[in-house]
Amino acid sequence: MFKNHIKIAWRNLIKRKVFTSINILGLAIGFGSSVLIYLFLSHHLSFDSFHENGDRIYRAVTEEHRDYIDHEASVPPAFAKVFRENYQYAEKVAKIANWEEYQINVDDGNNQNAFKEDVVFAESDFFDIMTFPLVVDTGTRTLAEPNTAYINEDMAKKMYGTLDVLGKTFLFDNKETIEVIGVLKNSPKTSLITEGIFISFPTLEKFNDFSGLETWSGISTDLQCFALLHPNQNIAEIENVLLELPKEHRPNSKNRHEYKLQPLADIHFNPDYGGVNPGLLWIFAIIGLFLIVIASINFINISTAQAFYRSKEIGIRKVLGSFRQHLFWQFLSETFVISLFAIALGVVLAILFLPSFNALFELELTAESLLDYRFFAFMVLVLVLVSFLSGSYPGLLMSRIVPVLALKGKLNHNDTGGSTTRKVLVVVQFAISIILIVATVIISKQIDYAINSDLGFNKDSIVMVGIPEEKDVVQLESLKDQIQRIPGVTHVSNCLTSPGGSINSLGTSFKYSNRPEYEEFSIELKPMDEDYLETFDIPLVAGRVFFKRDSVTEVLVNEKVREKLGVNSAEELLGKQIEANGGYIKATIVGVVANFHDIDFTEEISPILMAYEPRWFDEIAVKIDARSTSNILAQIEEKWSGLFGGYIYEPRFLDNRVAEQYEAEQRYLSLSKVFSALAILIGCLGLYGLILFFVGQRTKEIGIRKVLGSNVANILALFSMDFFKLILIAGVFATPIAWYLMEQWLQGYTYRTEIHWWIFALAMVSIMVVTLVTISYQTLKVAMTSPVKSLRTE
Amino acid sequence: MLLQLKNIFKWVNSGGQRIFLLKDINLNVHEGEFISVMGPSGSGKSTLLNVIGMLDAFDEGEYQFLDESVHDLREKNRANLYKEYIGFVFQSYHLLDDLTVKENLEMPLLYKKVKGPERKAMVADMLDRFNIVGKKDLFPAQLSGGQQQLVGIARALISSPKLILADEPTGNLNSKQGEEIMELFKQLNQEGVTIIQVTHSEKNAAYGSRTINLLDGRMV
Repeated sequence: MFKNHIKIAWRNLIKRKVFTSINILGLAIGFGSSVLIYLFLSHHLSFDSFHENGDRIYRAVTEEHRDYIDHEASVPPAFAKVFRENYQYAEKVAKIANWEEYQINVDDGNNQNAFKEDVVFAESDFFDIMTFPLVVDTGTRTLAEPNTAYINEDMAKKMYGTLDVLGKTFLFDNKETIEVIGVLKNSPKTSLITEGIFISFPTLEKFNDFSGLETWSGISTDLQCFALLHPNQNIAEIENVLLELPKEHRPNSKNRHEYKLQPLADIHFNPDYGGVNPGLLWIFAIIGLFLIVIASINFINISTAQAFYRSKEIGIRKVLGSFRQHLFWQFLSETFVISLFAIALGVVLAILFLPSFNALFELELTAESLLDYRFFAFMVLVLVLVSFLSGSYPGLLMSRIVPVLALKGKLNHNDTGGSTTRKVLVVVQFAISIILIVATVIISKQIDYAINSDLGFNKDSIVMVGIPEEKDVVQLESLKDQIQRIPGVTHVSNCLTSPGGSINSLGTSFKYSNRPEYEEFSIELKPMDEDYLETFDIPLVAGRVFFKRDSVTEVLVNEKVREKLGVNSAEELLGKQIEANGGYIKATIVGVVANFHDIDFTEEISPILMAYEPRWFDEIAVKIDARSTSNILAQIEEKWSGLFGGYIYEPRFLDNRVAEQYEAEQRYLSLSKVFSALAILIGCLGLYGLILFFVGQRTKEIGIRKVLGSNVANILALFSMDFFKLILIAGVFATPIAWYLMEQWLQGYTYRTEIHWWIFALAMVSIMVVTLVTISYQTLKVAMTSPVKSLRTE
Repeated sequence: MLLQLKNIFKWVNSGGQRIFLLKDINLNVHEGEFISVMGPSGSGKSTLLNVIGMLDAFDEGEYQFLDESVHDLREKNRANLYKEYIGFVFQSYHLLDDLTVKENLEMPLLYKKVKGPERKAMVADMLDRFNIVGKKDLFPAQLSGGQQQLVGIARALISSPKLILADEPTGNLNSKQGEEIMELFKQLNQEGVTIIQVTHSEKNAAYGSRTINLLDGRMV
């Protein structure tokens, strides 16, 4: 019987080629997308799952309680030692520090190259906690020794062109010579730590870096502290005990710390501590489901619409002794055959589009994971699900057909049923498309708003050049002076970093005037010189710019500081004494600047303290005449290399850096663009199938209408109005859903665009246009046929 | 007694009026009879045939088929009953267009869950008997009307029914083809199959052993 079902199914599919292709293509696109989404999700779910003792690995993190709670995926540098030595919870505790984009120079005679690389400073116990196995090592030496490093296989090849690298050296940050004492196996791509160079932690002391100190005074985001706990520990209990640490070590701080232990499995999925937002993964999963639902709807609509043409067959079968369940299973097997083809085509499509998908979302997914048994199980599940989802309703409908009527040809289209269901399903399809279009428009509006609205400073035509090494004031001033004299350069300022799109930040505590206590809020410190405001077009609202002195005696603050302090006018701040950075800065406020967006639009503008402190300068901001950019950049390089010979020159445009803050949003945008396009495409396929059917059904009606004097436009309107009504109904349902979802998304932004009514109108109108285009070919074809023909065929 | 209809009424309600399709039909059919049902268009011939074939329900009366009370049976049991004992032949043949001659013949056996080898033997037997072995792999559209009806009859016979219901079996055929089909019915009847046919033609009716005339749903 089953063989017979498949045989009939096959012949039916061959006979109705157009409908079959529409069904298969639509489902294949749905399946293909779900394959890509499967790869994407399994990529995320497999993160950090390769560590042997993964269930006992924890990261120590901090909740900072100020006027609001902040989360840091780090702890004060002294935490690790105390947790290791004073408590019995952990087998091993180790800290690491991540440094991004530092210069590596390799010179082993035949090989000379310099490049920038992310590195990790790691305590030797780190390799007893995480599973990063060594493939070559000296056996006796460990990362407890300063100036030693492990590198992984890829890095060994990149640096030296060989795996035989023990004893070879490289120059780090133009300062320290580091010896390679071990080669690590390449870690899986799905790892929290993907760097290829692990320098011994003691080396960090030579850089006089905060993370290398044994201090409780603050937190550096560079630092992470991991622990391998003994089995069966009560985490809540440990966290409770750790509450005593800040009381003992930071008794006076307004920034009240609470240390938490974060399980390894949580790290990749906890956005509070820098993980991906699981919401994003859900969105992906739901969109995949949407696409399959849309494709299944096509299938249901086309099959039920076709039921009429198959009613005779059904009647005969019933007379010959078929029961309803026979017919039901017959149609299900047809659906199964279609789904099988669609799935095969879908997998092929997915593999073809994998590279573009990877490029779009900056992933490195491979088709290899498709050979996994889990993928096979997933596919079988989807196949069965889709077959049932899209086959059972038409099957049910058709098996109900009354044979006597069917055989006499007395059935009309309404008797085969499903026309209401079809309308409902088309409305669902339209609604999904409208929601996706609205999402696309709003996300792009928000990005546009964030990038193009007034940030409070000018980001155009500004080049940021690094200060890779601490130099004394005179040298920096002289370089600034040389750059200033390049034709086309209008302003130059030495500073820690740009106002927004910053490369680093310095948060610190702050004490105002004669208030007895430090303020509860933290203030953002922006070291800069006197030309900063002019370079970035930041207006002063009161007072003046500071005069350059050897020590910090005069500072500027922004309007936000005034708001936070509860002071009414900017003038009132002038002349007041402040204290910051634990008393290191004691100075007078001489000016107040307007607020500018120092962080992206998800965050409130920070209170800012500006001071002249050349020792903290990391960048030179150069405002240039945009007309001869490359020439100017080359000239800056020439001057810059005079002072920083041996370092890699990497000028960056500030507007790009600001735009990069919204990379996640850009990705959401690509996502919603791609998937709304797919949803619309699948929907159109379905519409095309439906219109083909409607036109066939109403050929006679069209003929009569034409005889009575109707023209082609009237007939096109007749058919499109049916669909436009459905689109309007879909709009009614989609609008509140889309509005709610996008409002939720925009809640994440402190500074945000508005949701206007015209976005919904736009979405509906564009769906209408697409619908019109889809249906016009078939409609016009029939509308232009001579009525003599269409009436005769009846 | 093969079947017995007692006081059968069937009606539809249309515009507040009750229109009778069958009115007080009483009919006894014995095994081995060959009955012709005649009457003008709309007199209820086909409706009567459908009621006998259990494809259509009736509103009042009693129907006994081989000592089973059809009016008391559930749909599934009714279907089992006609699947077992009744074969249908239609004016427009109603072959499945997507299936070959052989596959059309096989269809009722599939629904009766007859095993593969036995099925093949029965189909081969039937092809042989009707002399259409050479046509077994053709599709209905490739056959003449007479040949299609031959297949239709072969299909009705394949599950060895006690009763064949034929609704104007020659209506779409020319006179020569029609004659051949009627001869075939006669022969089948002589072999013991009970036949009830609906026909417009006096000549075809004459093949039967008994004629029933219908007018406006009533036997006359």
